[in-house]
Amino acid sequence: MLRLTINGDTHELDVDGDTPLLWVLRDHLSLTGTKFSCGIGVCGSCTVLIDGKPSRSCVLAANQAAGKKIVTIEGISTTDSHPVQVAWEEHQVPQCGYCQSGQILSAIALLNSNPAPTDEDINNALSGILCRCGTYPRVRSAIMSAAAYMLEEGSES
Amino acid sequence: MKKFNPDRRKFLKLGLGLAGGSLILGINWSCSADPDSGSRGNSKDFSPNAWLRLDKMQGVTVIVAESEMGQGPFTLLPMMLADELEVGWKQVKVERAPATPVYGYQLTGGSGSIRKGWSTLREAGAVTKELLLTAGSIHLGVPKADCTATGGWIIHQPTGERVSYGELIDIAATLPIPHIAHLKEPDEFKIIGTPVPRLDTSDKISGRAKYGIDIRLPDMLYATITHCPVFGGKLKGFDATASKAIKGIVDVFSINEGVVVVAKDTWTAFKARQVLKIEWDFSDQELLSDESIIEHIKSVDSGKGKVIQNSGEDIGALSQTRTLESSYILPFQAHVAMEPMNCTARYKGNKLEVWAPTQSPTQAYNTAKDNTRNIAARTLDKIKSKVFGSHDENVEINTTFLGGGFGRRLQQDYVAEVVQIAKKTGKPVQLTWTRDEDVQHDFYHPFSIHELSGKIDARGMPIGWRQIVKGLGISTGNSGRIPYEIPNKLIKAVNIEGPIPTGPWRSVGHHYYTFATEHFLDELARAGSQDPLELRLKLLGSSPRLRNVIEVVADKGNWKDYLTGHRLLGVAARSSFGSHVAQIAEIELIDREYKIRKITCVLDCGLVINPDIAKAQMEGSIVFGLTAALKSKITLKQGRVEQSNFHDYPILTMRDTPEIEVFLVNSQEQPEGIGEPGVPTVAPAVANALLNATGSPVRSLPMAMSISSGQT
Ligand code: FES
Ligand code: FES
Repeated sequence: MLRLTINGDTHELDVDGDTPLLWVLRDHLSLTGTKFSCGIGVCGSCTVLIDGKPSRSCVLAANQAAGKKIVTIEGISTTDSHPVQVAWEEHQVPQCGYCQSGQILSAIALLNSNPAPTDEDINNALSGILCRCGTYPRVRSAIMSAAAYMLEEGSES
Repeated sequence: MKKFNPDRRKFLKLGLGLAGGSLILGINWSCSADPDSGSRGNSKDFSPNAWLRLDKMQGVTVIVAESEMGQGPFTLLPMMLADELEVGWKQVKVERAPATPVYGYQLTGGSGSIRKGWSTLREAGAVTKELLLTAGSIHLGVPKADCTATGGWIIHQPTGERVSYGELIDIAATLPIPHIAHLKEPDEFKIIGTPVPRLDTSDKISGRAKYGIDIRLPDMLYATITHCPVFGGKLKGFDATASKAIKGIVDVFSINEGVVVVAKDTWTAFKARQVLKIEWDFSDQELLSDESIIEHIKSVDSGKGKVIQNSGEDIGALSQTRTLESSYILPFQAHVAMEPMNCTARYKGNKLEVWAPTQSPTQAYNTAKDNTRNIAARTLDKIKSKVFGSHDENVEINTTFLGGGFGRRLQQDYVAEVVQIAKKTGKPVQLTWTRDEDVQHDFYHPFSIHELSGKIDARGMPIGWRQIVKGLGISTGNSGRIPYEIPNKLIKAVNIEGPIPTGPWRSVGHHYYTFATEHFLDELARAGSQDPLELRLKLLGSSPRLRNVIEVVADKGNWKDYLTGHRLLGVAARSSFGSHVAQIAEIELIDREYKIRKITCVLDCGLVINPDIAKAQMEGSIVFGLTAALKSKITLKQGRVEQSNFHDYPILTMRDTPEIEVFLVNSQEQPEGIGEPGVPTVAPAVANALLNATGSPVRSLPMAMSISSGQT
């Protein structure tokens, strides 16, 4: 039995523990917002947050995530109101949209650990998240806006 | 306002919706797609489909028959309709059309969505508004001439009394389609031309958007496939013992295209695929390699080629000129959409349902249907459909969001496969290709070799141009034409059939033809000591729109600094898919390496429907073009593709992406394509900047990133 805590809910699953987390999410829990693209850890489409850190779920055995806090795109907000989503909407980032879960979760992880990232910080955090549609310029500007919103929110609370 | 007479065979009011809650406007697509087709009068197969639904809560649903793969038709087409209908953007929702022949031939490609939708969707909006105006005047008991429509309301101007569209549905449903309606003039548009947000953004930032790979059906199985690694090879046999020993494996079998593993989840199928022992018959195809392809291309006589453009004299006969010769090689490229090839199917008795991330639901339907029947039945079907124009209700295609298309999803190979698999499993099944199958079994961007020869007169002006293009899978059509007014020219292309599957790749023939044309023109300019931008203007006397984008980009991209030597710049321009694009690339040399600092892009796509989407398409196209210019290529060795995933078929990353600035020409001409025209000019603009910086031309793509290793 595999026990996983995903977006605050605990799931007990009859799945081999060495199955990559990606496929547990997608095929066993129908959490399809996390995407498969390369399967070998080089594109970032499958990024989820494990205890707040971005992690490539296609190369992470599910049992490695047991006991940790897993957050997927479905878990960041029920109302699309996370500051990163608000900035994404404002900058109209997605085209086909397929890579966007990975972009958004990587951006959230970056901003949580670095509230005022430089261009180079963004390059370091996001360059491994591939987008064939070429939304990079907008991902960059949306992260800058999101950083500002999060600082505002932080100072209000 | 422009008066027009709606074609009353084209528009059809379908009356109240099933629940009685909405007004539905239908369009007879078979008529609108082909007004002369004889099927128009054939009431038997006349089954018009909903195009627009207006509900009592003031909601407007626009049904879009194009595939949404990122280029924005799910927003652009509703914008056209909503503007003419006079509703607010917040009222508008979009819905995907089912795949039925009444929507005509459903295929998204060739940057055609805007061009196809422009008249039909606006007319649909205008006709409905006219109906509502009549209904409003009846409801308010006032003359129609005193009424106006705005923001979802019919307003009686003299009194300000008003009634909402939603309240008028019942009356409107009883009225006939009007004889006369009005289309707006460009200065009357309220939504068209504005950067309204896309209707699919919220689904795409929340994980809600469903792509083909996200379809989940009760009791669904998961399959994957191995194709013969060598093109043209055949299956001899396989041993599935090791695969079948894995827990969760359901079945292993072969279909026409390869060996299939079916399991309880995708991962188990992938694992079992890894340990399959397959024996292939490679025939002689193992000899195929990049070297053998080049050798073969060179051996083909260009005499057989198709003449694309020919004027003036044979350039060999021109005297008192200087000659320059050059050649370029453009390699195969893969599409690598981020969503790998996949498809889902289910048989319910005789009925086949398919969920396909496809650019062409119509072709998916044809493919699915073909794969449900044996040859005899298929032949009979073909005859029947010729005679009766029949549509098989037992084959249903559901189109999903596409995680990128770029031309790859114009092919329906994954549909053919999943239908065969579903037939064998008898259960709903999703087929997902691994990324290596996706890279190694694509329909590639063609391989081409361009031989150019130019003549320059004493003033340094090009007066002769000869371009012989030979390649595998190349287009020999109009995309090979050059816009430049050079008196003596010959452009000839030889398409060589080969065992490597090729197909459309974002911007199709324009990609390779533009590189050769635009880079060679700069080589000629340099040989004739001309400013390459000025030279283009001189040679484009009768192409005012292309000239204009070059003039604008010269200003926006600081071309004056090219002349002073302050910046390393290169320019390229092209008309494609009805639009006109000029780009300036700025590079920076750092030791022996170079870096692209900025791409400045000017687009004239006629009247701009949504400036933000148009800019996004230029940005995306530039990134796509830079990948092929600098990073990726598909090579062959021993009959197979050498690359398998993003580690050896790298695409541009965030860090590699230069600053991109896009300017749109303010135009009232017919709106044109935006999905592809930004691609072709990127590579030559960069190559021209390098030529300017180093004095040596680029001979092949992708360009070397270091200058010392040369551009040969
Ligand atoms: S699918 Fe996991 S990194 Fe690409
Ligand atoms: S938006 Fe299409 S791959 Fe990133």
